[in-house]
Amino acid sequence: MNIDDFELIYKNNRKEIKNKTLIKTELSEFLGEKNVSIKNADLLAYTRDSSLIALNWTIQGKIAGLPDFITWPETKEQISKILKLANKEKIPVIPYSEGSGVVGGSIPIYGGIIIDMKKFNKILEINDKNLTVTAQTGINGMNLERYLNSKGYTSGHIPQSLYTSSLGGWIAHRAAGQFSTKYGKIEDIVMGMEVILPLGEIIKFKPIARAATGPQLDKMFIGGEGTLGIVTEATLKIWPYPEKRTLISYSFPTIEDSFNATREILRENVYPAVIRIYDVHETDRHFSEVENAKKRVMTVFVCEGNKKLVDVEEAITREMCEKNAGINCGTGPVEHWFETRFRVTETSTMSPYKLVYDTVEVASLWDRAARIYHSVVEATDRIKGNLLITAHVSHFYANGVGTYFTFGGVPPKGVSDLEFYQECWDSIIKAVLEAGGSIAHHHGIGINRAHWMKKEWGTAINVMKDIKKLLDPSNILNPGKIYEDIWKGGVE
Amino acid sequence: MGAFETLKKYKWMIPLLNKADRDIKSILMKNMRSKEKNFYPEGEYKADVDNLIKCMLCPNMCRFDCGTLQASQTESMSPSYKARIGYYLTIGKIDPTKEENSDFIDFMYKCSNEENCKIWCPFGFSVVSLLETVRDDLNSKGLTPDYCKEQIKKLEESNTIEGYNIYDTYKEHGIENIETEGNDDVFYYIGCESMKFPDVIKANISILQKAGVKFSTNLEKKVCCGGPSFNIRDSDTAEKFAKKNQELIESTGAKIIVSDCPGCVLTLTKRYESIGIKIEKKIIHIVEYIKQLLEEGKINPTKNVPVELKKVTIHDPCLIARNLNDTASIRAILGRIQDLEIVEPIYNKEYVHCCGWSGTAHWADRVLAIKEASNRIDELRETGAEVFVSACPLCELGLNYGINPEEKEKFKILDVSELLVKSL
Ligand SMILES: Cc1cc2nc3c(=O)[nH]c(=O)nc-3n(C[C@H](O)[C@H](O)[C@H](O)COP(=O)(O)OP(=O)(O)OC[C@H]3O[C@@H](n4cnc5c(N)ncnc54)[C@H](O)[C@@H]3O)c2cc1C
Ligand code: SF4
Repeated sequence: MNIDDFELIYKNNRKEIKNKTLIKTELSEFLGEKNVSIKNADLLAYTRDSSLIALNWTIQGKIAGLPDFITWPETKEQISKILKLANKEKIPVIPYSEGSGVVGGSIPIYGGIIIDMKKFNKILEINDKNLTVTAQTGINGMNLERYLNSKGYTSGHIPQSLYTSSLGGWIAHRAAGQFSTKYGKIEDIVMGMEVILPLGEIIKFKPIARAATGPQLDKMFIGGEGTLGIVTEATLKIWPYPEKRTLISYSFPTIEDSFNATREILRENVYPAVIRIYDVHETDRHFSEVENAKKRVMTVFVCEGNKKLVDVEEAITREMCEKNAGINCGTGPVEHWFETRFRVTETSTMSPYKLVYDTVEVASLWDRAARIYHSVVEATDRIKGNLLITAHVSHFYANGVGTYFTFGGVPPKGVSDLEFYQECWDSIIKAVLEAGGSIAHHHGIGINRAHWMKKEWGTAINVMKDIKKLLDPSNILNPGKIYEDIWKGGVE
Repeated sequence: MGAFETLKKYKWMIPLLNKADRDIKSILMKNMRSKEKNFYPEGEYKADVDNLIKCMLCPNMCRFDCGTLQASQTESMSPSYKARIGYYLTIGKIDPTKEENSDFIDFMYKCSNEENCKIWCPFGFSVVSLLETVRDDLNSKGLTPDYCKEQIKKLEESNTIEGYNIYDTYKEHGIENIETEGNDDVFYYIGCESMKFPDVIKANISILQKAGVKFSTNLEKKVCCGGPSFNIRDSDTAEKFAKKNQELIESTGAKIIVSDCPGCVLTLTKRYESIGIKIEKKIIHIVEYIKQLLEEGKINPTKNVPVELKKVTIHDPCLIARNLNDTASIRAILGRIQDLEIVEPIYNKEYVHCCGWSGTAHWADRVLAIKEASNRIDELRETGAEVFVSACPLCELGLNYGINPEEKEKFKILDVSELLVKSL
């Protein structure tokens, strides 16, 4: 097969690598033949991530990016050597774990060497007294969680992509699980890490509960998206598997009422593990059979943990919901959510109809949460070809929320998939920034949001760029992400 | 999903779609109508294109439990990528007739048929059943890989899975042959793979004899069930073996066919039926039969098993656990053996992980299959038991490959019958 038979989308920045055979030989010397490939059958597997637009390209026989080498290192020393070689030869290196990222983070848009982290899949230690687990970062999320469950624990980090993402990917993209209101986002869960810097140096941040040992440098690598270093090992908080789980659901007349109820619950220092607010459209989509939720805003709660505490949390949750015009919808809607939360079928059914759709999650403080919701809906509704814009609010904090929008439509005549996709994305992000929100809550920046970073970060982005330059002077580690405007759409 | 469910699922969108401009609606309608024209191949094909597409666009939701992916730890082995290749081979985006593309064809065979995917898949797919439809087209184009052709050749030449008739070895292994008198209660249907484990066969014969069952083994007439030809999707060979077996089974007059190989049970039942051949007999795995014998009091385990066999863990054969839906029998049998300590592995019963030796993967990529086996061995070792009990010759073979040569002495892989017979 000639890989050129597949139209390449991100082709403008590709680096020409001249001495490929020599580099392959060098890689094989320290990785072993079996851990390096330049075969088309392997290259093709790493030409996209799970960005929904990439699925349209897949069925159309196109590829997003094209790597030159695939490597499967088994030790940190091997990763270090790959990075040293890449620096010498000025070849891009792209960390790749499970490819479930949805913002293009692992797409090799410059070509280069893929470092597939999957062989870093060992669980190294569970410490019951400290309540920690230490694992290599290539481990699949479900395999980590199942192992913890079998020993009586949970990490509390349960993203919808649990089955298809890795610890390293979570750290790279600052992921959030569905139970994050109680257990936190990944940055609240990670306690220590081992990182290999772009020049090949191996550094370690030892696990600590809290400390005052100068700035929190380790935090910089959480959300680094594989541009500042490759995380090889991490220590996470774990919890005893919850003794009790209580399922609660209420519907509200408006999203504002629902916001008031949930905010008041959190003000009491009560943290249900799961809270999810569905706007009217998504309520209709997921709970059309719930009589008490017709034309209303469904809100589901899961309280879990120690039995006595759960009972108290339940009482306060109900009190605040009822105070804010909530109507009890029973356990049914929450059971439905539990049953369907990993049943992802949409990604398989849209592209054959050339529908372009995606999900965009954003963050905000409480005082502007409703405004952001309404302005995104209004702005996206105006886009020619866009058929739907809906949302659920999926992550909650005492001070704010994460809101998850879904858009979808068909590009009008003369507009390409990618142009339409970018227009929808940009419209959402612009509306969020104007309403005072933050452009990403848990999927990260990758390619899709990079051109908005200046707006999001202000002049602080220059500091970040300087740090990147310091750590990665030849810009070999995951180039084209976070700091570079690949979409050329950044709106001033 | 049926039309009604689909309609129900997407009903919420209707008011939103109604708002759209006319030109957009018309593009949408055109896209809806042209799905097949846009993305399906022309001409005749057997590949299940609709479901291959669904699977290739799925974010690999079953990946964590896919044995070959977990063994290789490469993205290229992921279920949805295999479906993507299947699709590209079908539409000719990757030309299967070109020698240089044989690596892509191999992916269609690198599956160990364990069907864990089916547990997690939102569509209920088992990836192998999708890949098999691609194999059908490869076969009809004369593109069956050599490692598959070799298996068919063995079947044709020896009537068994080996290059020689493996049933002929029964005398040298001291296995008793019991010819049918045409009115047996039971035909003990010994699988060709089982012939590699004479002690298991002897244990089963002894158990049946102790229970006073009138049975035959018919080793002089026995042939393979034809299982490999079903995996390879060689329908002519499959039919030939189905007919031979039907004839032999009917000649025994037995009411119940009891096999020591779950693969044989599956083939004699569901797979034969899939090609229109139905054997009107009760065909079950021997663990189910032995469980009944215990319940009826026809055998009574009273003796202690040797002390070094007292702590065991169970490796459920995938076919028994997920296809015959029976995880109780093996536990019921072990539960009757005195003072036996049973430690369950994390992945057990219907969640068991494969031994690596099922399906076509072990022909297409032996190293991969051995790694899958050694992954399973690691899970069994984690229990602290050194005796691994199973009930399938393929599992026992695969697991054996998974143990490091220097540790062969330390761990024992036993069939449940071997353990039971020691307690009778
Ligand atoms: C159906 C579906 C549901 C999802 N649900 C959620 C959800 O609930 N919450 C959520 O937060 N996200 C969700 N996501 C997004 C995605 O799963 C996350 O972004 C996840 O963290 C990516 O992990 P991965 O292992 O697949 O990483 P990849 O996609 O392989 O890589 C993502 C990024 O991380 C970098 N990277 C990977 N490994 C390392 C490493 N070891 N060191 C440094 N950099 C590395 C890559 O270079 C890339 O930039 C969902 C995605 C899908 C498809
Ligand atoms: S078998 Fe099902 S879950 Fe697995 S990749 Fe295919 S569609 Fe997804």
